[in-house]
Amino acid sequence: MKCFSKTSLIRKTSRIAPVFLAIFVRSLGFGQAAAGQTPAAEAVAGQAPGESKIGDLTGHAGSGKALYRRYCISCHGVHGDGRGESAPHLDPKPRDFTKATFKCRSTPSGSLPTDTDLFETITRGIYNSNMPPWRPLTRQQRADLIAFVKTFSARFQEEKPGAPISIPPEPATSAESVQRGAQLFQDMNCWSCHGKEGRWNGPSAATLTDSKNNPIQPFDFTTGTHVKCGEGGSAMFRDLMTGLDGTPMPSFSDALKPDQAWDLVHFIEALPAADKKGIVLTKAEPKAE
Amino acid sequence: MGAVDLKKVILRLAILGVVLAAIQPAFGLPLFARKYGLRCSDCHEAWPKLNNFGQTFKDNGYQLMTGRDAPIYQQAAYFPIMFRTGIMWHRESDNRTPTDITPGNPSAGQVESTVTTSSFAISGLDIWSAGTLYKNISFAIEPDIDNNGKVHLSTYWVRFDNLLNSSWLNAKVGLFELDNLISEDRELFSSNQGGFYQSYFFTPIGDRTSFGLGSHQLGVELAGHSSNSYTRYSIALLNSNNGSITSTSNSYDGYADVTQGFEVPKLGLQKVGAFAYVGKRPTFFKTSGGAPIDGTGTGNRSFSRTGVYGLWYLGKFDLSTFYLHGADNVFLGNGVQANQPSALPVGAAGPTWNAGFAELHYTWNPQLILLSKFETVQMSRVANPTIRKNQGDMRVWTVGYRWYPIMSPRAGIAWFQEYARNLTTGTAPLTGRDDTSSSFVMGFDFDF
Amino acid sequence: MRKQFVSILFSGILVGAVALSALVAVRSVRAGSPAPASAGELKGTVKVKGTVPKPMHIDMSQDPKCGGGGTTEEVLADGGGNLANVVVYVSAGLPADAKYDPPKDPVVLEQKGCTYRPHVVALRTNQELKVLNSDSTTHNIHPSPNNNRELNQSQPPGVPFTTTFAREEISIPVKCNIHPWMRSYFAVFKHPFFAVTGKDGTFDIGNLPAGSYTITAWQEKLGTSVQKITIGDSETKTLDFVFKAE
Repeated sequence: MKCFSKTSLIRKTSRIAPVFLAIFVRSLGFGQAAAGQTPAAEAVAGQAPGESKIGDLTGHAGSGKALYRRYCISCHGVHGDGRGESAPHLDPKPRDFTKATFKCRSTPSGSLPTDTDLFETITRGIYNSNMPPWRPLTRQQRADLIAFVKTFSARFQEEKPGAPISIPPEPATSAESVQRGAQLFQDMNCWSCHGKEGRWNGPSAATLTDSKNNPIQPFDFTTGTHVKCGEGGSAMFRDLMTGLDGTPMPSFSDALKPDQAWDLVHFIEALPAADKKGIVLTKAEPKAE
Repeated sequence: MGAVDLKKVILRLAILGVVLAAIQPAFGLPLFARKYGLRCSDCHEAWPKLNNFGQTFKDNGYQLMTGRDAPIYQQAAYFPIMFRTGIMWHRESDNRTPTDITPGNPSAGQVESTVTTSSFAISGLDIWSAGTLYKNISFAIEPDIDNNGKVHLSTYWVRFDNLLNSSWLNAKVGLFELDNLISEDRELFSSNQGGFYQSYFFTPIGDRTSFGLGSHQLGVELAGHSSNSYTRYSIALLNSNNGSITSTSNSYDGYADVTQGFEVPKLGLQKVGAFAYVGKRPTFFKTSGGAPIDGTGTGNRSFSRTGVYGLWYLGKFDLSTFYLHGADNVFLGNGVQANQPSALPVGAAGPTWNAGFAELHYTWNPQLILLSKFETVQMSRVANPTIRKNQGDMRVWTVGYRWYPIMSPRAGIAWFQEYARNLTTGTAPLTGRDDTSSSFVMGFDFDF
Repeated sequence: MRKQFVSILFSGILVGAVALSALVAVRSVRAGSPAPASAGELKGTVKVKGTVPKPMHIDMSQDPKCGGGGTTEEVLADGGGNLANVVVYVSAGLPADAKYDPPKDPVVLEQKGCTYRPHVVALRTNQELKVLNSDSTTHNIHPSPNNNRELNQSQPPGVPFTTTFAREEISIPVKCNIHPWMRSYFAVFKHPFFAVTGKDGTFDIGNLPAGSYTITAWQEKLGTSVQKITIGDSETKTLDFVFKAE
């Protein structure tokens, strides 16, 4: 049958099916960014495997390996799985690089961090943990370490990091903004973990575990704005939009618009002073409907 | 061969005594490794020498600045204490030791001969407690027990860190090592001839200035650093008694040091710096019943030590370079009371000298480091014409290595071997010829 | 004749796929890829023997918007011992390099009454999972995979969220951190030969090519049970699983 052979029909259907799939995939994309990206087989553009690029700085995994042995191995382990000799005595536990799940990113939840994210994490350290700021290492050393850390997970070969979220400039705070933030704190159920006054005494707080099933505490907002991944309003805005992968802190990229996120940040920034004065900023308990 | 020149013998013994007392044992601090879960190699190039991460930790007041440095964040069972001791075999040799020609019979005369001794030895025990008392308040206490079981307090200070929330303001008070970037305390060498920096302790012949740049001093220090310790400064006000805690002084010395670091692509971090120590020493005392009254030193005359240094990282090599210019007042240099200027010898002058060293390491990996050092001291002006122009000049060559077979956050062991050779000009006690001494040492260094 | 049959079969499958995507609560999933005409079928029932622990009451008073309490669903069996929420799948016997047509329709997970409906979701790699929030309170959808990327997304009422999983994994625990009692499991497969038992404990895996296979049944608390079968062309085989309650 020349004019309508089985093979030509299969060729036709194999062209239609991806179109259907593409339409469904296109229908994603509400909120800030779609978190579930289809992993691409393409390598990261402009980067050889075993390299990292931070601005004009290129790091090399070969040099990073010796540095890892000197600086990182006692916590993160020989295999980069977070099971170093010191790990049983640390809380929170050191990062398992083989899972490629990172807390401090500028990319959507579920996606890989950019090299710059990893560089900034290693430079700044992770506050209130045993990860120190490695600023005293030279920039080249830090870039080399990032390149080596990436070799622990095949995901860095298989996927591109997500598109970094944009952080608009912080608008000035105001009583109204704090009020709106208080309402959002209620509606978004932040209080169920962080507590009504932000003192990590929410009803779900005791049940929280990280992705390794270790107990984990939510941030106590009354201590100030020095969070794990930075300090100040922009750091908290970013945490809200990217979530802290590997922890119970989700991304609110689908839930909050930027100005709403800033309202929430303003509310959170007002909590330490309110706590000192004994003021409770949140509204009354939500009533059953 | 002729009468013993007693002065020279005493001087040699005095130098030896100063040297032995001044050997500050070197150590890495497992009490920090234990607190944070980091290995020795995180802070130390090869313990005890610090790398820049460790230097920044120290500059921060023994804090990593993770928000978890204060003692309340530690397990209650953690207590900051550690021990350091060494067990070794060593061999010493000197080729100009005055020896009786007939043993037991001094009247038969003496001759210079080569004396070689060797034995097993222990280094005494250092006990060190250091860390944070509270956020931004750090401390260190170190009682050392020497081989004879005698305890002496070598370190004893408290420091108020990050004053006004700034890393540029830190105030330390007590008994402490001066803020030398190339630290005597954290030297990698262990032998009698090579295990300390001659440049830090050298005093010319006839000079009675008691001072060592590597000796711990009593006073107050204001220091600061940039967040990555690339830029550092310190200024200190110190007792004029070389850190003695059993005697007082009525004048003060001053010290200043500044360092700047910069990165060189492909090679690594480089640091350069300069320092100056200006002090006074009394030339006579008020007396009571003929004995000097402590703290009443008078006729103070000044001395100085100034210089520059560099810490160069060249891939796996690192090179420390150091230059010092020493100058002592003529009264100090000749041991004459300042109220008796006529007692000065004809042609007396304040002695000056230049000293320095180059120390090259090769870090094979964090657990094996190869060491070498060349050091020299050269008089440029002697105190009086009876002293030969280059008498007391020395050249010291040292080679060795340290191997750390076990390195964990809890304890460390090093195995080391080292050979040092010291050639000193014109100090042989009987003949005034050049004197060659050598040390060989090998053994274990324990840190736990 | 043959090309007509093929095009009718294909249209039928397209229509069936569209209809499938309109379903909200899916109790039992049929494999959905076009198969050779000689495909066999595997059906059966999963039962549990012994005393099944009674479902416990869940106190949801922490969030009044959840609308009351619920019961635990760890081991869900009816009076006759029929076990629901068991994932039955082919675990060995398929050719290693076999390629299957990608699924076109999303699988839907709904958050209602602060519980996940369905309690267990089985889907294909790279198949869209659409998560709905039909409650008036904010949830967060937090799967913790071992072999796939971990994500955590907050979901206000009415805002849907879609994701996919790239690699096979049985199973991925899913929770909501805000409502700690909420628990679901995702089972992700490379191939289409799997099913999740409904309330009656039955499963039906169709379009299975002839061959010898290892079939595994997985239950979140009772573990796995493995059996081997051989299916011939167009043959329908019955395979029952029995779990022992602790």
